[in-house]
Amino acid sequence: MNSLFKMSQHLNERENIVIKVSNLKKTFGNLTAVDNLSFDVYKGEIFGFLGPNGAGKTTSINMICGLIEPTAGEVTILGNGSRKKTDIKTHIGFCPQENIFWPKLTCFEQLVFTGEMYGMTGKPARTRSKELLEWLGLQEKANVLAYKLSGGMKRRLNICLALIHDPEILILDEPEAGLDPQSRILVRNFIKTLAKEKTIILTTHNMDEAGRLADRVAIIDYGKLLLLDTPGNLKKSIGEGDILEIILDKDDQEHPGKMKDSLLQICDQVNLSGVSLMVRTKNMIESVSEITNRIKEHGFKINEMTMRENTLEDVFIHLTGRKLRQ
Amino acid sequence: MKLTSVIKKSFKEQIRHFWILVLTISLAPFFVGFYYWVNEASKPHYDLLILNQDKGVEYLSEKVNYGQRLLEGAKNYIKSTEIPLTIKTTGNKAAAIKQVKNKKADALIIIPGDFSQQVHDWQKGKAVKSIDLEFIGDLTDINYMVSAIWANEIVNDYVFNTTQKVRPLKIIETSLGISGKIDDFDLYVPGLLIIAVIMLMFSATIAIVTEVENKTITRLKLSKVSAFEFLSGVGIIQVLIGIISVLLTLAVAVSLGFDFAGSFWLLILLAVLTSISIIAFSLILAALTKSANEVLIVGNFPLLLFFFFSGAAFPMKAKALFTIFGYPVTIQGLMSPSHSIPALKKVMIMNMGLADIIPEIIALLVITIIYFIIGVWAFQRRHMRVQ
Repeated sequence: MNSLFKMSQHLNERENIVIKVSNLKKTFGNLTAVDNLSFDVYKGEIFGFLGPNGAGKTTSINMICGLIEPTAGEVTILGNGSRKKTDIKTHIGFCPQENIFWPKLTCFEQLVFTGEMYGMTGKPARTRSKELLEWLGLQEKANVLAYKLSGGMKRRLNICLALIHDPEILILDEPEAGLDPQSRILVRNFIKTLAKEKTIILTTHNMDEAGRLADRVAIIDYGKLLLLDTPGNLKKSIGEGDILEIILDKDDQEHPGKMKDSLLQICDQVNLSGVSLMVRTKNMIESVSEITNRIKEHGFKINEMTMRENTLEDVFIHLTGRKLRQ
Repeated sequence: MKLTSVIKKSFKEQIRHFWILVLTISLAPFFVGFYYWVNEASKPHYDLLILNQDKGVEYLSEKVNYGQRLLEGAKNYIKSTEIPLTIKTTGNKAAAIKQVKNKKADALIIIPGDFSQQVHDWQKGKAVKSIDLEFIGDLTDINYMVSAIWANEIVNDYVFNTTQKVRPLKIIETSLGISGKIDDFDLYVPGLLIIAVIMLMFSATIAIVTEVENKTITRLKLSKVSAFEFLSGVGIIQVLIGIISVLLTLAVAVSLGFDFAGSFWLLILLAVLTSISIIAFSLILAALTKSANEVLIVGNFPLLLFFFFSGAAFPMKAKALFTIFGYPVTIQGLMSPSHSIPALKKVMIMNMGLADIIPEIIALLVITIIYFIIGVWAFQRRHMRVQ
């Protein structure tokens, strides 16, 4: 029964594949920007592409959009392998990392123009433009020249331009980059709303953004896919429980490893680097007093202590041994 | 010390803007080289038509035709002096005038019916009037002037040797169209109208390259718009700008005393066709550049060529490499204004009609199509294709 359920789930997934990336590779001279990347994106999900700057996220996205040709491998969109075909273009909306717009057109004018470039006729393009400006809080700026907008507004206009032709797939490259906190919340909510009707791929180096928005996250670095799963599963993959981060008053030079060994008796994981101590355990609330006692027993004082859940950054550190490069 | 640092920094930046540096320092040498190639290597040549109406004269029971002797003498003179002048005879005045108007010949000389009689009278000391010769041509055309000077020299030499008299000859100059009435200002206005259109090269190229510079070309690549649709759309607006520019130039010229003759609508037609060709050329320039700054540097090359070698700024005579249906194909013919300027002169100076400028219009269209095909292909390849 269980295997039948799994088989049916697998078949459903296959039917729902919107984007299939197979062995994708891109080299620029000696540099391999994307290396043998393979994954599927399912209908209606928010798929996060997480990785540091230069990891190959934008190159992968550009290949998916058809802006650059892969050196090897294939991208299949809605079952069609050729992204040169103009009918495929109408299914994808792309919001690039940079704000790209026509500075001497008003917000409304460029939305209508872009819509018409996608084959929309005048009235539907105008109606859709008004809707989008309203949804993203730009209705009052409809008749303002784009170059006069603030940074956050330009970013929102950039998202509007990606959505003008109502694509089934929306690709957002660093959608929250450069946004003020208020705009970030607006955009985040907007993306969540859109996810009900569209498939969304977003790239980010912001773990918080990926963790909050994405249904599944692919972590890539140096062009390679390191891990792909739901944020919850990714966090669990490096160990369950909460994390206690402690800054000690001195490092463990007198009796190296003694305190760590002592803590490992009551914790699942202990990392000590200089004065920074990180411990993980499933019942952190109950274990905190015992942990602090043992630290003090070994002659240390605690300068600072923070308790938190696993983050995607922890996953990245676990996978690569280093922090996300900013 | 600070000065040294600035010099070092400036030197490094100049070297690293390699193409801009190369283009800047190569412009003048290129220009000199091109001038030599076009002007010297192509060796300009002048065509003189002669209509001999001389009836001859009876002398010592022998029929003598001094007009015919003049023709033979002229050919021998050209052969011995190797001047770049060709003499062709014609029997039809109207056809000959048309040839001159269409620039298939530079000047027409009519030897009158009583030429032999008058030469004879001067020989015998019985002459009561000068020997009249009619020179017909476009008085604004430098080729006419050069041809007429040589013809005058040849004819005077012949008449002096035949009559041994000084100055028996009277040249009657007949101007075609309004070429005899116009001053320098009127003469240069057609070229200036075309220069107004040539200047479109920058605005048209920048209008296209701005999409590359602003990266909005990415949005166009992602949409369903084709390079052809995009470039045509930008081009149509530039054509309108070209027409406005031509009309404004004409209005200023007329207000300053320019004597406008010919068909206004033919002028507009030529302005539109030349604008389209310049915009089509701009597509090639846009394919070669990525920013407005680059356009201003790279664009100087074609701009100077179009200014100085198409006949817009001053007349240029080039040897035909070959002819197609009698229409000469020259090196300058690769520049579209080299076809529109003679057409415009025909309309505005010779007062000729549409039928007379059909060859120029066809040449202009062919060049425009070539520019457009190369431009769209190169732009698509450089800026709109998947990398």
